[in-house]
Amino acid sequence: MVKTSPADGRPGTLTPPAGPRRPVSARPSKQSVAIWIRRHKLAPYLLLIPSLVLIGGLVIWPTIQIGVYSFQNVGLPQVVGAEPTQWVGFSNYSQILHDSEFWLSLRLSVYSAAVMIPVTLVLGTLVGLLLSKLGPKMRTFVSSVVTLAWATPPVTGAILFIWLADPGDGVIDWFLSKLPHWLGGGAHWSSFSWTNSAFPAYTLIIALVVWTSFPFIAISVLAGLRTIPAELHESARVDGAGPWRIFWRVTYPVLKPLFLVLLLLSIIWDFGVFTQVYLVIGGIGNRDEFNLGVYGYSRAFTQPPAYSIGSALAFILTIILLIITVGYVRASVRQGAIQ
Amino acid sequence: MGLRKSTAALVACGAAAALAIAGCSSSSSPSTGSTGSSSSSAPATLTVWRMGASVPAQVTWMNTVVSQFHQQFPQYKNTKVNVVWVPWGNRTTDWNTALTSGKNAPDITELGNTDTPTEASLGGLANISSFVNAWSAKSGLVPGMLANDTQNGSVYAVPWFGGVRGVWYRTDQFKKAGIASPPATWAELVTDAQKLMKAYPGTYGIDAITNDTNAFASFVWGAGGEIATQSGGQWTADLTSAADEAAIKYYVSLYKTYHLSPSKYIGQTELGVTGATSGGANADFALGKLDLYIDGPWATGNMPPNPVDKANWASFPIPSQNGPDPAPVFAGGSDLAVFKTTKNPQAAWDLISVMDNVSNSTSFATGQSFFFPPYTTATGTSYPASNQLMAGFAKAAVNSKIAPLNAKNWATADNGQYNIIPTMLKALMNGADFQSTVAKANQQLQQVLNTGSQS
Repeated sequence: MVKTSPADGRPGTLTPPAGPRRPVSARPSKQSVAIWIRRHKLAPYLLLIPSLVLIGGLVIWPTIQIGVYSFQNVGLPQVVGAEPTQWVGFSNYSQILHDSEFWLSLRLSVYSAAVMIPVTLVLGTLVGLLLSKLGPKMRTFVSSVVTLAWATPPVTGAILFIWLADPGDGVIDWFLSKLPHWLGGGAHWSSFSWTNSAFPAYTLIIALVVWTSFPFIAISVLAGLRTIPAELHESARVDGAGPWRIFWRVTYPVLKPLFLVLLLLSIIWDFGVFTQVYLVIGGIGNRDEFNLGVYGYSRAFTQPPAYSIGSALAFILTIILLIITVGYVRASVRQGAIQ
Repeated sequence: MGLRKSTAALVACGAAAALAIAGCSSSSSPSTGSTGSSSSSAPATLTVWRMGASVPAQVTWMNTVVSQFHQQFPQYKNTKVNVVWVPWGNRTTDWNTALTSGKNAPDITELGNTDTPTEASLGGLANISSFVNAWSAKSGLVPGMLANDTQNGSVYAVPWFGGVRGVWYRTDQFKKAGIASPPATWAELVTDAQKLMKAYPGTYGIDAITNDTNAFASFVWGAGGEIATQSGGQWTADLTSAADEAAIKYYVSLYKTYHLSPSKYIGQTELGVTGATSGGANADFALGKLDLYIDGPWATGNMPPNPVDKANWASFPIPSQNGPDPAPVFAGGSDLAVFKTTKNPQAAWDLISVMDNVSNSTSFATGQSFFFPPYTTATGTSYPASNQLMAGFAKAAVNSKIAPLNAKNWATADNGQYNIIPTMLKALMNGADFQSTVAKANQQLQQVLNTGSQS
């Protein structure tokens, strides 16, 4: 048999090298600092400081500010200094919760994410499985083509899709109008507008988001598959399992932590999607097609700007995502997927 | 390997990502040169924000103005004037960003005349009363236009030019379709659009776009209705009146009943999607795909570079319900204002006084832009009757209105936070129930006009 790595993942029997000890007299002060750090086990924390500073400055501090704004009445006059900033308690939150547009945009966010996430995951996994079956040349070719879609900037991708779905000269409408009637095609598709009501607009947006996000899943799944020892699949096949069974009994259990990560990332990305929606629905002129991100943007930045309402909305969005994330992680821990 | 640790890291990463997403920020800010560093009387640079897309003729005009500025005010002879073009759809976002960040702000900005009351009340514009009152040209300004820029006795902007909307058409198309004279009633407008679509298969008859209340107002007024009326400081929305409902029904029927307008115009402005400067109905008209196009003569600057039959472009006023007089038209136009954050209000005003003097505003308005200058002496005589493109607009301009489109909260109600009438028209064209949709819009409009907010 080939050499297998131990279950704990440690590389072989290597012990930490004793290392060439430096002469004690060389730099006593530096060494004593090092000893002090080692004795108090501070090294991990020291290593964390740079990223903590970065996250603190770029994420935590703005978050605190947004939190403060969400309980104030910050608008243009307050920022310019024409009127004083006042604390308003929960009135921003209650205003949002009483706005029918908020519920409409929340609904569109939830519905579209509920389609995008499973489609992205399933498609990504299938392509990942396909990639693992391909020979090296074909794999390189397919994975680089697929990565192109992922590497396309959101704005470029959105403009591309808008252009494909153009009601005048778009290839999608042209194709659908040429399709035979029994396939749902027909003349009524020519100059069909994909962007002027929520259902077709989100159909387009879902296609666009899936197109740009499945390659990441596919490449991740491929990377995960490569870590599964070939023997596992081999012995399952010898025992008479088909591909479906092998996937659910071998591949999926081994890769469960990976799938969890991918699912969580997809939820966060797809629920918070802004750029593509903003571009496809045509900016802030179409209020009946807003999702949460565009609704928040519109409340915060259109005339007259209501930065406090926008902040409160950002918090609501964060809380929703945290509930989903924490809830899912807890459930997974209980199931034993991760410890 | 400790999976527990990686889970914790994952949760932290998820939370961080969520926060990062939640903390979205304004994305559009124009790339301007920096305004002159603080200086006493002669700034290094004056930044002027113009609206729309740059047109060569207007660049030439501006260069002339700047050289006059340097001549008339020798103290500014080293001051550079930097013109930045802001798409109409981005203007409020860009003003707000400039005000809140204090960076890349203009010294002078052009504003739509309906923007001025809102921006002045939000604190975006400098009080220029003392400059304007001492200005020799002030007495010649059309009084109503200046009154629109005055709040509680303080002046925040000066009118620069006026303009009205009408219906663009092509004389050669009218001839081929057998239309002898432009339509004067709503019924004739439909019939003529149908004739045009028949004579030119594959074209759209007219653009019933939803996101241009400035044009839609003419249909309400043309039925004898009002959008909202004010008495005792309180606005009463009027959309549910019989006249307004007739106008709304007619406008929606252009798409729903008569199929004169394609579905893609639903949710668009006259220039396409919000923030675009071309690619919408304007491009379709210029390329011969749309027969009748509603917009002002300034749309010339927004037409694509390869138009069809430009020589045959002409205009007629938006018809009223029963004719024979055209519908009242929204008195549009632009103002010039000194931006609140400027460090050089005196220099900024001095440049405005050159841009907006009688001869320069007249040459700007009539030169290539097809506007009307803001001076009583110049308004009537700007265009020869032989100018067929201007003929219809000149006729329409005789009967113009502005309220409530200049109300302090109109910008909030119409294209800011609420977009009430466009959303209503869009819902109706997409098949929503008429009575409840109009009633809801009416209630919303009244509340926003009076309070500036919906809740």
